[in-house]
Amino acid sequence: MGTKRLFAVYLGLALLLCLVGSSSAQQRVVKIGAIYPLTGNLATTGLDCKRGVEMAVEIINGKYDLSLPLAKTEGLPDLGGAKIEVIFGDSKGDPRNGMAEAERLVTQEKVVAVIGAYQSAVTKTASQATERLKIPFVNSDSTSPTLTERGFKYFFRPECTDTIFARNQFEFLQDIKKKTGMKLESVALLYENTEWGANVGKEEQKYAKEFQYKILEDIPYSQNATDVSSEVGKLIKAKPDVLLHASYITDAILYTKTFKELGFAPKGLLTMAGYLEPDYLKTVKADGNYMVVRSTFALDLAKRKPLVAQVNDLFKKKFGMDMSGNAARSFTAPFVVAEAINRAKSTDPEPLTKALTETNIPGDQIINPWKGIKFDPKTHQNIYATGILVQTQNEQYFTVWPFDMASKDVIWPFPGWKK
Amino acid sequence: MGIFKWKQVFLGITALILLIFFPLAFPKPFPQHVMILVFMFGMMGAAWNIMGGYAGMFSFGQVAFFGIGAYTSSFLLITYQVNPWVGLIIGGLIAALVGAAIGYPCSNLRGHYFAIASIAFGEIVRTLFTNWKLIGAAEGLTLPMLDESVQNFIFHSSKLPYYYIMLVFLLLSLLVCYFVATSKMGYYFRAIKESHDVAKGLGINVVWYRLVAIMISAFLTAMAGTFYAQYILYLDPDSVLVLPISVQIVLISMLGGAGSVLGPVIGAVILMPISEVTRVMLGHKGTGIDMLIYGALITFISVYQPKGVWGLFTGMVKRSK
Amino acid sequence: MPEQLGQQIVNGLLIGFIYSLIAIGLTLIWGVMNIVNFAHGDFLMLSMFASFWLYTLYGLDPLFSIPICTALLFVLGLLIYRFIVSKVMKGPMLAQLVVTFGVSIFLANLAVFLWTPDFRLIEKPLLSGTWAIGEIKVSVPKFVATIGSVIVSLFVFLFLKKTKTGKAILATEMDREAALLMGINTDRINSISFGLGAALVGVAGAFLSTYYYIYPQVGGTFGLIAFSIVALGGFGSIEGAFIAGIIVGVAQTLGGFVFDPAYKYAMVFLIYLIVVWIRPQGLLGW
Repeated sequence: MGTKRLFAVYLGLALLLCLVGSSSAQQRVVKIGAIYPLTGNLATTGLDCKRGVEMAVEIINGKYDLSLPLAKTEGLPDLGGAKIEVIFGDSKGDPRNGMAEAERLVTQEKVVAVIGAYQSAVTKTASQATERLKIPFVNSDSTSPTLTERGFKYFFRPECTDTIFARNQFEFLQDIKKKTGMKLESVALLYENTEWGANVGKEEQKYAKEFQYKILEDIPYSQNATDVSSEVGKLIKAKPDVLLHASYITDAILYTKTFKELGFAPKGLLTMAGYLEPDYLKTVKADGNYMVVRSTFALDLAKRKPLVAQVNDLFKKKFGMDMSGNAARSFTAPFVVAEAINRAKSTDPEPLTKALTETNIPGDQIINPWKGIKFDPKTHQNIYATGILVQTQNEQYFTVWPFDMASKDVIWPFPGWKK
Repeated sequence: MGIFKWKQVFLGITALILLIFFPLAFPKPFPQHVMILVFMFGMMGAAWNIMGGYAGMFSFGQVAFFGIGAYTSSFLLITYQVNPWVGLIIGGLIAALVGAAIGYPCSNLRGHYFAIASIAFGEIVRTLFTNWKLIGAAEGLTLPMLDESVQNFIFHSSKLPYYYIMLVFLLLSLLVCYFVATSKMGYYFRAIKESHDVAKGLGINVVWYRLVAIMISAFLTAMAGTFYAQYILYLDPDSVLVLPISVQIVLISMLGGAGSVLGPVIGAVILMPISEVTRVMLGHKGTGIDMLIYGALITFISVYQPKGVWGLFTGMVKRSK
Repeated sequence: MPEQLGQQIVNGLLIGFIYSLIAIGLTLIWGVMNIVNFAHGDFLMLSMFASFWLYTLYGLDPLFSIPICTALLFVLGLLIYRFIVSKVMKGPMLAQLVVTFGVSIFLANLAVFLWTPDFRLIEKPLLSGTWAIGEIKVSVPKFVATIGSVIVSLFVFLFLKKTKTGKAILATEMDREAALLMGINTDRINSISFGLGAALVGVAGAFLSTYYYIYPQVGGTFGLIAFSIVALGGFGSIEGAFIAGIIVGVAQTLGGFVFDPAYKYAMVFLIYLIVVWIRPQGLLGW
């Protein structure tokens, strides 16, 4: 009995050595590494991002009559029609795995660029690794402003930062005040106490002061709570005009239910992240209506940009669901990378990085509501990245701000909870 | 018995030589990273062993010391430009003090009671650090990218220095383990593990020696924390103060063989690569299979080989006589 | 202001009674066979999923699936005892501590594997909505769960005190060796206790599924708090676990409201530490 088990141990070790020391496959395709939390607490989000990436790659590799870079040709035309292959790495939401995966993807899988990683903490360490290895990292789904404040040469971010999103919220409030003459003076900040949420809280505090709103409550909370009566009780007691809530999916659900249960109904709710996930409306249904959520994508943008509807149709056909804000964000990075590779006519890091810095994708070739994608020469932050606000109405997302981009009027103030 | 000992020494030296040449045989970063994790967790397993395997205090809160070490040296480096090696020592001392402070009122706790208390301790530390603005609260600390040097305890162009430093740390902790195991202190620890009353009857100051075990364990674990910080260059409560790390440390020691010097190292050599390899091979599918295997493995080991691999090995040796 | 305080106390009680139910099962297992069931939270999760699937596939309202969930969990408890736990009973304490960790990780990821990490909610349970009693709002499903918890706890209490098997369980809890000498089949008692402990958390899960969201890792926080409650109440003491559950629920909610919600779980753990320092056997333990 003992020998059998020992043998199993040796076999396992041998297997491990083979795997760990093995070299990568030959390069008949262009490989890109993608790091996401595919298991663990944020697995649903990670898998959502994965869908966005897979959709992008399918379009790049195939022939589609879409106004997207490289869609109309199969693969990369200026690189002999080379196809893109994405190798996914599971971060499990842990920054240490972010670093390990980035290194493994680059040195063993021989990816020419890395994308990901949703959580800013993981993106931080993963991109530190790629910076050391001098390989480009294109991040279209992390919003921490610090990522583009590091002076990195190989890091590029097409997406908005939390600074912009936080500011948007207050700009919206100013616009609402102007439009309706409503009195809005106080806010309550509610955010989950992790690297992302705490940073959002900080930005919101900054802008609340700048726009002169009173902060009546500032509540960081532990995620995955069993019960949030205390937090909601404090909010009810404070009676703020507006609630600003930065939350991942689990707490978005719990808070919505508890708000309704205890009757917390401020004049409006400005929210982030978790409220955009497909599981949110699927789970809370009509109770999730009237939430104003920050986003860089909405299906109704299709009214001005038919491309959005075309892409969503493809997405729906492939995955059986509408494209979510998360999937839309992760959808962007593969295009930025592929377009740069094609322009550089090379996958070598230096020409590729140079091509990335010269990226200038026009607004009509992206599904986001931006003027385009162009990186600041120093920070590599997309100078055209702006946010929009969507609102859940009839269990769907509609663009409500900026007002000139809105497809529907925002329903404000919050009409209260339905029985 | 004599041959047994020589066999051990021979095996040990062979293993050491293999480990020294490993990064040269496998120059890619990932295998080196896996081995660094093996050493790091092996060290923490050895540290746990002193408290748990030898002295009978099954701690599920080691991550608190890990985090204290990481945060102390990082905070001192960022705010006061204190050299990380100095921060390492300070972090270890603070962890030891905190350990003693918590350990003292827990002196009467044994078995499950102690285990749960250690979990409570770990969670309290995590909550405190998550809300403590001075050390970054939930946003964590980012270490500055200084020029690489041994003095700065930071390396950019290669993982090799990290590899060898962690190996040295591991050997150091094994030495401490060996010393504890074979010294009179080790004898006291084992007596305390058996029964507090018996130990007291033998004239052993139970409270004091329990605290000593905790302090040594805490110091070593905190050292691993500082190493982590210098290696990953970023830390937040979610990555250095979470319960799963404590659990992993216990599992490693148990799998390899608690109460033996090499046990935790063997456990780390088996568990860490399995955990990393299954993550790489199966994690990306998002089906959770890698953790399924992990959970099944742990259950299996607990049931069929609770003395760990080391127990298996010594059992085999005994049978071969 | 005072009415918010009242609301918070009510909410504390509502979550407290659920905690109690979860803790009773845990303390039973602990008291009888000295096993810390780290997979307890995952039993809760499985029961919640069972309730969810019965609702989704067969339209069975969670209130009516309580007996089914309970029975399923009872059987699961028996099986896990028979094939896993019983084998470590004679092993070292460390193995006993670790084995249920392994089961916990396995079950949580089995759920991921079978049902994906997605979140589920039972959308239209029979009992939903909120009553308003004066200024205080009471969630109907939570209230029903509270009543249910009290009833079930009473049943368990009576079972243990009045039936032959129940008394055998108590005897084994108090003194294992004596029970053996008295001719009690302790292995069978262990089996039943483990099953019963699982069944109790099964009831809690069925109730919880009427208003809480369901996903593979949901057992995590509930499980962790349950240990503190059991230890607070005193290992093996059913009454202790019941009372401690309520105390913790109220302390957590009230404390979070009056002080800082960011620390509310730390407070729960601190209370545990303090109680255990002053009185190592917990409030009502022996």
